[in-house]
Amino acid sequence: MTARRAGLVACTTCCKVHHPGEATCLRCGSPLHSRDPAGLQNVWAWWIAGLIMYIPANIYPMLRTASLGHETQNTIIGGVFELIAYNSYGVALIVFIASVIIPVGKFVAIAFLALSINRASILSARARLHLYEVVEFIGRWSMLDVFVVAILSALVQFEFVANVHPGIAAVSFALSVAFTMLSAQSFDPRLIWDTDEADPT
Amino acid sequence: MSEDLKPADMDVTPPSRSPWRNLSLVWVVPVLALLISLMVAWKAYSDRGVLIEISFDNAAGVTAGETTLRYREVTIGTVEKVGFSDDLKTVEVAVRVQKEVAPFINETAQFWVVRPEVSAEGVSGLSTVLSGVYIDSSWENTGAPAVDSFVGLESRPLIDLNEKGTRITLRVSGGKVISGGVPIFYRGIRVGRTETPRLNKAGSAVLIDAMIEAPYDKYLTTATRFWDTSGFAVSLGAAGLKLDVGSFATLISGGVSFNTFFSGGAPVTPGQVYELYNDEDTARENAFSRVSSRTLTVATIFQEGVSGLSPGAALNFKGLKIGEVDTLSAFVSDDSETPQVNQLVTFKVDPDLMGLPEGATTEEALDFIGQAVKGGVRARLNKASLLTSSLIVELVEIENAAPAVFDREAEPYPMIPSVETDLPDLNATMEGVMERINGLKIEELIARATGMMASIEAIASSEKVRAAPGEIVGLIEDARALVAGEAMQALPGDLRGVIEELRGTIAKANTENLVEQLVATLKRAEEAADSLYTAADDVPAVVAELRQVAAKVAGLKAEELLDAATGLMNSANALIDTDGARELPPALASALVEVRDLLGDLREGEAVRNVNVALSSAKDAAVSVETAVAGLPGVVNRLEGIVTEAEALIATYGARSDFNAETLAMLREVRTTARSIAALVRTLERSPNSILFGK
Repeated sequence: MTARRAGLVACTTCCKVHHPGEATCLRCGSPLHSRDPAGLQNVWAWWIAGLIMYIPANIYPMLRTASLGHETQNTIIGGVFELIAYNSYGVALIVFIASVIIPVGKFVAIAFLALSINRASILSARARLHLYEVVEFIGRWSMLDVFVVAILSALVQFEFVANVHPGIAAVSFALSVAFTMLSAQSFDPRLIWDTDEADPT
Repeated sequence: MSEDLKPADMDVTPPSRSPWRNLSLVWVVPVLALLISLMVAWKAYSDRGVLIEISFDNAAGVTAGETTLRYREVTIGTVEKVGFSDDLKTVEVAVRVQKEVAPFINETAQFWVVRPEVSAEGVSGLSTVLSGVYIDSSWENTGAPAVDSFVGLESRPLIDLNEKGTRITLRVSGGKVISGGVPIFYRGIRVGRTETPRLNKAGSAVLIDAMIEAPYDKYLTTATRFWDTSGFAVSLGAAGLKLDVGSFATLISGGVSFNTFFSGGAPVTPGQVYELYNDEDTARENAFSRVSSRTLTVATIFQEGVSGLSPGAALNFKGLKIGEVDTLSAFVSDDSETPQVNQLVTFKVDPDLMGLPEGATTEEALDFIGQAVKGGVRARLNKASLLTSSLIVELVEIENAAPAVFDREAEPYPMIPSVETDLPDLNATMEGVMERINGLKIEELIARATGMMASIEAIASSEKVRAAPGEIVGLIEDARALVAGEAMQALPGDLRGVIEELRGTIAKANTENLVEQLVATLKRAEEAADSLYTAADDVPAVVAELRQVAAKVAGLKAEELLDAATGLMNSANALIDTDGARELPPALASALVEVRDLLGDLREGEAVRNVNVALSSAKDAAVSVETAVAGLPGVVNRLEGIVTEAEALIATYGARSDFNAETLAMLREVRTTARSIAALVRTLERSPNSILFGK
């Protein structure tokens, strides 16, 4: 049983349930749609944008560290390898998970969810909903790297002695994360159940 | 679910089948993202710059991705790759250079790795201690096409290619070697620096390239001299102890200075080679230009030996060096009967050093020398210094020099006339002087001098000595007056006049045929002459006695002085009083009277026979008279001697009143004698003929 099947439309903004026929929410004035008219378009659009931004985020240096006139530039992966070289396996693991595994996992998860809307899925609707919830929850934590860069850039400004500047990758990465978050938000989890209904079990 | 909640008719808009019509605005975002990404990628690619390759022997500290390439301290690129050449002999460094800069990097470009360097002149490249090395570059913006493969330098080039100035080469023949990077000073201002020294091809000299920065390079001429100011120099000479210390930097790392000591140098061209002298004095002395293109060669011939003269010895003109000896050779001259070995010496002369105006030609210089030779200038050997045996040649002005010309057409070179020098004598004299100085008994001399001084003081302080001078002066004046008397001096002349008259008379007698009585007359004349002779003979005896007495007196001791002096005076008186002395004038007079009588007889008589015999006899007589008279000056001289001795005597004994009186008495006697002689002379003078003719 869904709202759609019950002939009701819930406002996605304030959750007031309306009778069909209302174009806008009587309480908050948001447009009412039983399902997002753009459908999966937005999800894919944000997803592609995020993926595009993720490429330079990995190619270009994330951090430019100048210490006593000695300047080093590190990409995300480069930084991970450097940390490994310094035997900081724990930190390397955190950075690797936060900056590589999570974003990549999000791309894969969102793509999987979006693709599984109109066809049979190996996962149950409930499992997919959990997946979606995890993606949405964990998405913000991908910003960990960006935060580190931002804080370092703000705090470590000791002129000649030590200097940290964000690289192009930092911006790219932040955008990439933002786009994937938007992508995840654009995904209407109700669609999961539509398929479920259409395919009665 | 309640009944009234009927499912309403769903107003569900089915998803449009046309993707274009229902395209969401959100698609703008990925498109923008893609565009931006592509733009960034394309920009990164297009800005990537140009890859150049530099090969280094040693690329210590160069790291790919970190080491930067700088030009004028601005980063223009980054090392992208560090690898080896195929044979592993050099390190190939690939550098990504900004594409704005890359077109200017041409074949003149120099690359070197900057490392920290501490030297006496300061610390450089300190920033690289912490930041790591970087590659520095320098090139001339000649507009030449860009090149992308270079060979890097081991260290910073000492001369910046963009510096304006003149590159020169210093030549060091011996002594210490200047290291690279040494500052060059002009009047104490730093105007350049040297590059790394290198050997010339033969390995006989060290060449050091150097850069004189503009605008100071305008002070360079071919007449410029360079010298080493490294460290400090201590010299001990006639001027005393001299200590030369340059700046602190030159004390440690060395330095080079230059100056132009004389005018007339030509402008230099890049690459001009200069000799580097050991110190300023040498440079100044060596102002003779080895590089002068207008050196002229002259020669001279010395008859004397030239041992000690060597090529390179100075040719001085009025004390200034104007050239140096070039060659020495000997040849035998065959224009005289006895072959003589001549020394041909040739000189290199620098017209600039003769003070000729700038740009004087060789011809003008030869003219100048020609004029100088006309004015008496000759070449002469001289000692280089008092203590060495080496010689130099000097052009000196000889007064009243034998006429000579500057032979400009001579072979092989124009010939300057030479004069002999008294060089060997100089040697001998020097040796003699040295020996004499050695032989002097200085101590003894001083002892004697001290004794003498004491004696003089004792004598001078005695009262007697103080009283003496006045009297002595009076005495001497008297004596002088006597001797200087006109009559005394005129005596010989007068006597000669008498003889002349006598001869004239005899000649007259000859003509008057007075020969007959001549034999008898002559006999008598002979007798008269004999007596006259004897009388005259006595005078020297008197004088001799006087002298003996004087000598005796001189030998007496102080106690006997008075007695001896008195005795002397007495003796003198006695002597003067002797018949011989007193009768001298009367004897003369009587002799003359006799002669006069004889001649009177002759005149009156007619004795003309035996004229020849008479004549010869008369001659003999005249000779006798002359001899007798010749004794008179002797008498006068002896009298003078007596006076002198008396003076000496008086000087010895001082002012004893008795002695003085005696002396004066004696002198009075002497004077009387002299007066007698003078009277006789005057008589003869007044009427010489009277002796002969009795009138």
